[in-house]
Amino acid sequence: MQAKIRDLIITNLLAIVLGIVSSGIMLLFLGENPVSAFTILITSVVRDVYTFADIFVKATPLMFTALSFAFTYKANLYNIGAQGQFYIGAIIAVASSLYLQDILPGWLALLITLILTLLGSGLWGGFIGFVKARYNSNEFLISMMSTYVALAIMNYLLRTFLMETKAEYPQTDALANSVWLPRIIPGTRLHVGFILALLSCIGVWVLLYKTPLGYRIRAVGYNARAAKMSGIDAKKLYILAFCISGALAGAAGFTEVNGVQHMLVQGFNPDIGAAGIGIAILANGNPIGIIFASILFGALKVGGTIMGQMSAIPSSIIELMQGFVMVFVILAYFVRSWLENNREKRKLQKAVV
Amino acid sequence: MVNLLSRTIMMGTPLLFGALAEVIAERAGTMVTAIEGIFLIGAWAGFVGSFLSGSLTIGFLTAILSGILVAALYGWICIYLKQHQVVTGTAINILAVGLCAFLYRVIFGVPITPLTVNPLPTIPIPLLSKIPIIGEILFEQNILTYIIYLLAPLAYFLLYKTSLGLTVRSAGENPEAVDVAGINVYLVRFLTVLLAGAMGGVAGAFYSIGFLGMFATNIIGGRGWIAFAICFLGNWNPKGAVAGTLAFGFAEAIAIYMQSIGANSFFPNELFIAIPYIMTIVLTISRKSFNVPAKLGIPYVKENY
Repeated sequence: MQAKIRDLIITNLLAIVLGIVSSGIMLLFLGENPVSAFTILITSVVRDVYTFADIFVKATPLMFTALSFAFTYKANLYNIGAQGQFYIGAIIAVASSLYLQDILPGWLALLITLILTLLGSGLWGGFIGFVKARYNSNEFLISMMSTYVALAIMNYLLRTFLMETKAEYPQTDALANSVWLPRIIPGTRLHVGFILALLSCIGVWVLLYKTPLGYRIRAVGYNARAAKMSGIDAKKLYILAFCISGALAGAAGFTEVNGVQHMLVQGFNPDIGAAGIGIAILANGNPIGIIFASILFGALKVGGTIMGQMSAIPSSIIELMQGFVMVFVILAYFVRSWLENNREKRKLQKAVV
Repeated sequence: MVNLLSRTIMMGTPLLFGALAEVIAERAGTMVTAIEGIFLIGAWAGFVGSFLSGSLTIGFLTAILSGILVAALYGWICIYLKQHQVVTGTAINILAVGLCAFLYRVIFGVPITPLTVNPLPTIPIPLLSKIPIIGEILFEQNILTYIIYLLAPLAYFLLYKTSLGLTVRSAGENPEAVDVAGINVYLVRFLTVLLAGAMGGVAGAFYSIGFLGMFATNIIGGRGWIAFAICFLGNWNPKGAVAGTLAFGFAEAIAIYMQSIGANSFFPNELFIAIPYIMTIVLTISRKSFNVPAKLGIPYVKENY
C-alpha cells in the first residue's frame, strides 16, 4: 500500500512537470523564452492576494465537475456531460435568483435557488441514468449529446425570456447584491462557494467510502454481475448515481452564477466539463485528490490568463498545458501498473525461492 | 427540395467518412473516442496546408497525415499501453483544441480579417448529372462525395466478403483466436485505428476546406461525436452507417435551410441546431438490439506464462 501511494505521487508529479515542460517547448515556436514565461506564470499568481485567491475561485467549479465525473466513474459509468449539467444548473440558478431576489430575503432566496439548481440539474443528469437503466442505452453517448442540447436551450433562453432588459447582448440582468454568495476574504473574489465545494469533496468521499450506498456503487463499478448476484439493484443505482452526478455539476453553475459572474453570459466557461474529467483522472477518481488537482488546474488557469495579458503568449496555452498534462497522467497510469506488476513478480519469485 | 437533398448528401459526406472510420476501428475492437480531436486536427491541418501551399490536394494530404499522427498517439496509448479509451480520447480532444488554437496563432498571428481559401469546387459528372432530379442531387457534388460513394461499398465488401475483413472483425470478436492463428492482434487494431485517423482527418478537412474555406476552433462542434454516434446507431455496419448518415445529413441540411429562409421568427434557431443531437438521443434510446463487437473497448492482453 505504501509503495502504491509513493508511486502515485511520484508518477503524477512527474506527469504534471512533463506536461508543463512540453507546452513550454511549444512556446519556442512563438520565439518566446519558456523559462521567463513560466517565471511570469509562477510569480504572477502570488503577486497579490486578489490573484492568489482567484486560484481558489477558479478551482471551485472545477471541483464540482470533477466530482461529477468521478462519482459515476466509481460505478463504471461515464458521465461526460458535466458541461451540459453545469449549463442547466446555471440557467436555473440565474432564473431563480432573478425571480426570488425581489420577494424574499437574500439568504432564503439563495437557499431555495441552491435547492432548485440541485434538483433541476439532478433530474437532467438522472435522465441519462434512467435511460441507461431502463433501455440499456449508451450513457456515454447520451451524456455527450445532452451537452449540446443544454447549450442550445441556454442560448435560446438568453435570447428570449432571460435576456437583459436593455436587450443588447445575449446575457441576463445582473443579480441584486442580496443574492450574491458572501465573500470569504474582503477585496478578493473568493466566495463561500469554495467552502461548499470543499465540503462536497469531503461529503462525496464519505458517501463513497463510508456508507452502504457508496459501497454498493463501488461494488457495481468493480463487477456489475457479481453485485447483481448478491442482491444489489444496479438499475436503481445507475439512476441515483447519475442524479447525484448531475446535481454536483449543476452546483458549479450555482457557484459561478451567484458567486462570480452575478449574471449569465452566453458561452461562459466552455471547458470546465472537460477540465473536470482531466482533474478526476489526475486524482484517480479520489474526491480528496480532486481538491488538490482542482487547485493546480485553477492555478494554471489564472497564471495562463495573466501570461496572456503580460506577454505575446496566447491564452490557448492553458488548454495546451491541460491537454499535455492529461496525456502524461494517462501514461503515468501505465507506468504505475508496470511498476506494480514488477513488484508482484519479485514477490512471487521470492516466495518460490 | 432538390436543393435540400443535395445539401443532405453534401453535409453527410464528412459524417460518413467519420462513421466508416469508426465502424472499421470498432469492428476490430477499438472505440476511437479521439474522433472529435481528429476531426479538429484534420480541419486545422487541411486549412494550414492548403493556405500555405495554395493547393487543396496538399491540404487534404496534410489533413490525412496529421489525422494519422493523432490516431497513432491514441492507438499507442489505448492498444499497446492498454489504457482506458474514453479517458484517453477526452485527453486527446482537449489537447487537440489547445494545439489547433495555439499553432494557428503561431503560424498566422492574429489576422484582422478571417483568412480564407477557395473551397472544393463542385464537379458535375457528365451525363449522370443530366438525369432529372437525381442527377442534381447525387452528381453535382464535390470530389470527396464521389469518393465516399465508392468507399462505402468498398468498406462493406472488405469487412464482410474478404479474409482481411474476417481478420479485422475477429480482432474485435475473439482476439484470442486471431492470436492463435498467428496474427498480431495489436497490429491489426493499431492499423485500423490509423486508417480511422486518416479518414477522420479527411472528414475534418471537409469542414474547413471542403465548403467553408476557413478555420475556427469551434468548426467541428461535436460533429465527430455525431459520426461516433452514427456508428453505434448503424449497428457497426457500413450499411447502417450510410442510413444513419443520410438521416443526420438531412437534419443538418434542414437546420441550415430553415435559418436561410428566416423560419426562426416562429421557430427558434437553436431548436434546429439541436435537432441532430436530440435525434441521436432519441435513436440511442429507442434502438433495441445491438450487434456490438464482443470485445469493443476492451484492451487485448496476451497471456505470457
